[in-house]
Amino acid sequence: MLFLGLIFIFVASGLLLYCLYLSYLIDKSFSARRWSIPSKVFSDTTLLFPGQRVDRSLFSNKLHRLEYRNVSHVPEAGGEMRITKSAVELYLHDLQMPAKERSGFPVKIAFRDYAIESITRTDKNENLPLLELEPEKIMLFFGPERQQRQLVSIDRVPEYLVNAVLAIEDSKFYEHRGFNLQSIIRALYVNIRHGTIRQGGSTLTQQLAKSYFLTPERTFTRKTKELLMALTMEIMYKKKEILEIYLNEIYLGQKGSVSINGVGEASFFYFGKPVESLSLAEAASIAGLIKSPGMYSPYADESRCRDRRNKVLHDMENLGYISRVQMEDALRAPVKVVGFTAYGKKAPYFVDYLSKQLPALYSAKALSSLGLALYTTLDTQVQEAAEAALEKGLARLEKTHRALKPTGERKLQGAVIVMQPKTGYILAMVGGRDYSTSQFNRATQARRQPGSAFKPFVYLTGLDQFTPATLLSSKPKQYEVDGKTWKPHNKGPVSETGVRMRDALARSDNLATVDLATRIGLDRIVKTANEFEFSTPIDPQPSLALGAYEVIPLELARAYCTFASDGMEPYPLSLKMLVDENGNVLEQRHMTIQNVISPAKAYVMSDMLRSVVTEGTAKSLKSMGITFPVAGKTGTTNDYRDAWFVGYTPDILALVWVGFDNGDTISVEGAVAALPIWADLVRSIPQYISGEWFMMPSGVVKRNICSQSGQLAIESKCPSQIEEVFLAENVPAVTCQVPEHQAYPVEVLKTWWKKLWRK
Amino acid sequence: MCLILSACAAISPGKTIERRDLPEAKPGPRELASIQLTEQGQMLLEKDKIDEAISVLERAVSVYAYNGKNYYYLAEAWLRKGNLKQAREWNRLAKMYLAGDQEWSQRVFDQRERIRTRTR
Repeated sequence: MLFLGLIFIFVASGLLLYCLYLSYLIDKSFSARRWSIPSKVFSDTTLLFPGQRVDRSLFSNKLHRLEYRNVSHVPEAGGEMRITKSAVELYLHDLQMPAKERSGFPVKIAFRDYAIESITRTDKNENLPLLELEPEKIMLFFGPERQQRQLVSIDRVPEYLVNAVLAIEDSKFYEHRGFNLQSIIRALYVNIRHGTIRQGGSTLTQQLAKSYFLTPERTFTRKTKELLMALTMEIMYKKKEILEIYLNEIYLGQKGSVSINGVGEASFFYFGKPVESLSLAEAASIAGLIKSPGMYSPYADESRCRDRRNKVLHDMENLGYISRVQMEDALRAPVKVVGFTAYGKKAPYFVDYLSKQLPALYSAKALSSLGLALYTTLDTQVQEAAEAALEKGLARLEKTHRALKPTGERKLQGAVIVMQPKTGYILAMVGGRDYSTSQFNRATQARRQPGSAFKPFVYLTGLDQFTPATLLSSKPKQYEVDGKTWKPHNKGPVSETGVRMRDALARSDNLATVDLATRIGLDRIVKTANEFEFSTPIDPQPSLALGAYEVIPLELARAYCTFASDGMEPYPLSLKMLVDENGNVLEQRHMTIQNVISPAKAYVMSDMLRSVVTEGTAKSLKSMGITFPVAGKTGTTNDYRDAWFVGYTPDILALVWVGFDNGDTISVEGAVAALPIWADLVRSIPQYISGEWFMMPSGVVKRNICSQSGQLAIESKCPSQIEEVFLAENVPAVTCQVPEHQAYPVEVLKTWWKKLWRK
Repeated sequence: MCLILSACAAISPGKTIERRDLPEAKPGPRELASIQLTEQGQMLLEKDKIDEAISVLERAVSVYAYNGKNYYYLAEAWLRKGNLKQAREWNRLAKMYLAGDQEWSQRVFDQRERIRTRTR
């Protein structure tokens, strides 16, 4: 007897110590952060307004990604939409962002041709001048467990959902102390009979212990641990707390490779609504999933889901949680789910770039667990257009140029960056052809020679001394560089009489550009490049004028933005706001601009770069459907290793690069390789094309010049006159000196008089 | 002499086109949308919600970049945040786009003086 007593004391002490250890474990987990909530990356919101041109196909894709689902009737509930030829009717989702909260309402967006004709809030019959669509979730930073959940307080959970869960899983929850002895004895009997674990008999608390702390194997040891853990939890926490943790922990389905945990996430996943908006039938469906989400998921088998839901409803009625009338109403309700798209990584290069912008505090581990929300500048319609244009363009090149076909070792690559020049917002970023095969971001990490795409910075430097009408020499010349002879050449015919600065840039005349560079001074060109904050080292060699040094594509795009934004260089912005899981703003980033050149110089440069498109190397844009004013520059490097086009309007700038990673030649020019990709992209985003041109600032004047001499035209004498822009401080004083145009000696006198005063 | 002078008068060096004034046309859709946002931004500034105002005004700029009032209010917002460098840059743009409006030009000038005063 004494011996038995000692054994009993020994076992009891052991159990007590073990329970103390378990309580420490439980307390450690539950008092710290209970769950890892993946951080979410969102696109920018989408602004719609009457008169805005829209690509209907991209817009429709956008709405699907925003989880609007097609219905055949007038949308009545959040997330429904009906698309017809002339209109899109939506019942908007709620918009929930810091400082921007709006409940959903029905809206009709009417289209005429390719533009929005009107936006009407249909419940109030009110015309809206602006409509903002919620941001799109583009990525989640999952941890290794890959769980998705939205935490909910138990006070937000409808009582009938709680009752549904209790009815089907643990009707004696409020009576037991963590385990149900009756269920255990019954399960024990069944399991001993079969020699293995057949029946669970688990309470909610036991399920929670298993789910949170233990491995899923079905052994007696694990069951014993589960029992003791459940007992300890019941001692440490109140029933309400345990229930709240359970409702947020429980596994309720699968979305691709990501598990859906907790009723908060499940209510959105299955029914597209917050948990407090669930109906009785929907709540019963969710409760019914707990036993086996894979089997009872409405996405797997709707009728099995309905049968299980109906069992839950019957159990609720038997236990007195609902009346018979309520039960019968709910039994009649159809199982109506919203559908889902499995998580994929959208705009992966952009997200990688974004991750690098985050402060050191936000490591990958922090991002996968803190449940932050990152609101970005990305426009998913532009991103989709950019990805499609690049893939289509590269495939076309491979098809039409045998030398570009992929081999085992190399595949033609490209990069696209789209920015708003005035704000610096990065709207789209494509760092390569296929992220799954190469995560190297060619937009932000590659260093490539820009070739002729660098020439605008040479011409910009030249504007201090020269004008767009200045004649440059296009005669072949050789230069001594580091003891070696360098002889630049043109691809086309050489002009004997000289070429105007504007035309030299438009035609990408190498000889004229080098002539200009040597007249300006290479150090001054380097100074200009440094003012644009190119981070790559620049060597003041004559070949610099032809872009024979390396740049990072994003930096080149940013520099061009300066021409498009009145001389203000914007900081490229990707992250706008960082918010914690409680909605508190941790960080907010705004546009940052700095004055680099005068608005007058920016205007003159844009005007000259417009000639590249109207008469120069990019004139084929017109045949590609680009009929609105565009400024830009093609770029092709030595041996055709890199092909570029950077093109912009007052509203949008896009840079396209094409090449091989290993530097092999692509054998085609920027106008052939990069330009069509640019055209495809820009045609797909009409919402960013106003068709307007830059406003001419003060400090710019227009004069007519003689196309032959480049000097001020003598009206009625110079047969071919061109309107030219000049910086006010550099307006030419000399009128045309071509003898045939000198009809009156007074012109000679005037010119002589002016020259005299200059001396 | 008269003949020479009259010849001088008759022969001009070419057309002179000075700075172009924006035509007084009906506001287009982008401008209308931007005006809405500008008004929202202004109201937020009045309520001292500076960061929210900046976000809205940035949106207004992205929709229609010729509305000088956006730049004026952005300069105002940055001035209140104490970032004088940004305030100066936005004021510079406001000056350019509001040059044709006497009342607003004066406001831009006054703003520039306030920025200068804070800089000292």
